[in-house]
Amino acid sequence: MNDWLTQAENWAFILIALPMVLGAWRSVTSRNVVHSVLFLVITLAASAALFLLLGAEFVAWSVVLVYIGAVIVLFLFGIMITRAPLGMETELSHSNQTKLGAALVSGALFALITVAVITGFGETEIVSNPTRTSEIGQSMFERFVIPFEVVSVVLLAALIGGIVLARRDPAEPGDSSSSLGGAQSAHVTAEGGEA
Amino acid sequence: MIDYHALAPELILAGTVMAVLIVDMLPVRKHWTAVVGLLGLFATVVPILTLGFCESLDFCDYSGSREMFGGSYVIDAFSLALKGLFIGSAFVAVLLSVGYLESNRFWQGEFYFLMLASVLGALVMASSRDLVTMFVGLELVTGPTFLMAGWRKGEARSNEAALKFFIIGVLSAAVLLFGMSLVYGVTGELTFTGIRAGSVGVLDGDLSGLFIIGVLFTILGFAFKVSAVPFHFWTPDTYEGAPTPVTAYLSVISKTAGFVGLLAICYLAFGEVTTLWGTGLWVLAALSMTVGNLIALRQTNVVRLLGYSSIAQGGFILVPFGAAIAADVTGSDLEEAFFATVTYLVIYAFMNLGAFGVVIAVGNRLRSAEIKDWAGLFSYAPGLATMLGLFFFSLAGIPPLAGWFAKFVMFRSVLASGSGWAGALAVVAAVNSVIAFYYYSKVVVSAFMEKVPDGVPVAEIREQRTAPSLQFALVLTTIGVVVIGFYPTLISGLAEAAKTFASGF
Repeated sequence: MNDWLTQAENWAFILIALPMVLGAWRSVTSRNVVHSVLFLVITLAASAALFLLLGAEFVAWSVVLVYIGAVIVLFLFGIMITRAPLGMETELSHSNQTKLGAALVSGALFALITVAVITGFGETEIVSNPTRTSEIGQSMFERFVIPFEVVSVVLLAALIGGIVLARRDPAEPGDSSSSLGGAQSAHVTAEGGEA
Repeated sequence: MIDYHALAPELILAGTVMAVLIVDMLPVRKHWTAVVGLLGLFATVVPILTLGFCESLDFCDYSGSREMFGGSYVIDAFSLALKGLFIGSAFVAVLLSVGYLESNRFWQGEFYFLMLASVLGALVMASSRDLVTMFVGLELVTGPTFLMAGWRKGEARSNEAALKFFIIGVLSAAVLLFGMSLVYGVTGELTFTGIRAGSVGVLDGDLSGLFIIGVLFTILGFAFKVSAVPFHFWTPDTYEGAPTPVTAYLSVISKTAGFVGLLAICYLAFGEVTTLWGTGLWVLAALSMTVGNLIALRQTNVVRLLGYSSIAQGGFILVPFGAAIAADVTGSDLEEAFFATVTYLVIYAFMNLGAFGVVIAVGNRLRSAEIKDWAGLFSYAPGLATMLGLFFFSLAGIPPLAGWFAKFVMFRSVLASGSGWAGALAVVAAVNSVIAFYYYSKVVVSAFMEKVPDGVPVAEIREQRTAPSLQFALVLTTIGVVVIGFYPTLISGLAEAAKTFASGF
């Protein structure tokens, strides 16, 4: 154990891991949605730092760009645009029974995976062998070109479907030949009243 | 160099997906989007056929299976057969949707776009032989279906269906991905052949714990997708709340895609640990059949009944997997099990799509899917009532309808292995077949024998006609169910496909 503490990267790991766990804990327990999202930023930034520690630079900066840069901002936009209440949210907190169940399940899962990982990899020394970004690019467009293209169809489908579900239908659909479809007008007004 | 002939089905379908969007923007009647979609699906069949009969064609100088991208993507007899199945079922699913969307004034172009994009994912899954491609394909299958389930925007039930489906779907994707990452971490390989080679003897080493968790999580992720008990709780609500054509799509194509992923991963990637997943899937099969059927007994709504029945049918499809529970099940026994699963999937697609077609047609007239309102259907809609009987008896497995052959090969594969556990599963399946027969026939008997309840506008309903597209879909599925039932040799070509695929077991 003494040996473990003398190595610099282990200290770096502790420095990264502590705020990470704290951020994860607070983002689950916080009663304010915006605070939860901001605590999630800490967790994600720490995970990017862990990737850097492992020599996986490309993955690290992808986490920063995609998760912190895009997904979190999307969360915040989503909260703002849907006009969800921004302050304290008492309805978000569950009954103690539910909390206990969730804690038990996640605790058991954590214990199971930790034991399995430690028995599996506990003594293995990781040889740092950083993958160059150019290699990742090569394999992405050669070996993994099909998943790459398929992902773009997934995003297009999510975009278009999301627009259809989120937009307000025209209150008076014309005849079925030229109308944009949509639900019956009664429902539309009901929706419009809320929005 | 990319083999464009081998990728032609996917490329044509991808082109169709985009064409549907473009036609949707043109100032033409919206049902042209469906026409374009159907034509595109039809065009996709051409390369599937030329690839399938490559050896007897002049311009095609390739034999055997084509491996691309370092073994990640494989075109062989098995994947082609399943692509054909997906395209055929998608054709029927689009036909089921046309009249429904039009009469309810739902958005049309975007709907067909989403449905065909989802089918594209199914095609990719049928060929994918590595974890990344399989996962991304599965996401393309399920992603659009979350949105399609919420297509009845004004209805709270449809919103609930979409939300439940979405949350459970995302959870299962996370579980699946975590399992896959553990498998990759242990074996260091992404392709199924690599994983299989890397997993030799892994159960005896230090990494056994991680590998077992990885395998079980992967199976669990797929169990959500095929709604096996106890991971089924989203199914009835989603099936009932979603638009009925979407329910038909979910219960056939999306479910089949899940089973295809399960087949490829279990038999190819986890071929060294058959007893591990055999045990897990034995339990899931027994639970799905029993729980699905027992709850189906108490249903009063036809759509919910079909929801639980599809859970139970999923259990029957899992039975051959469960037969791999014993260690001495190898080689030809596994081949038999594999063939049984594929056959069941093909026949199930016909019967279930047909059954939902009838539900859509009748539901459109009666405005009700309650079984008690369907009493006496035969007296005023004899054609639909007959088809209802046909599909329901086929689902129950009554000869000479196609369903009996599916059940027959299923039982044959389980009993062939001869182990005690497999025999026990066969007994569970047999008891469940009887239970299933009871609730299927109850609906049919009420439609044929009982009196029409008061308040059903019989005269009005007699005047109504079924949309031509729906009629076409019903005719196609009826022919399928009857012809395969009488001439099961028609799909024995599948046996060959299964053999080539299974030659590596």
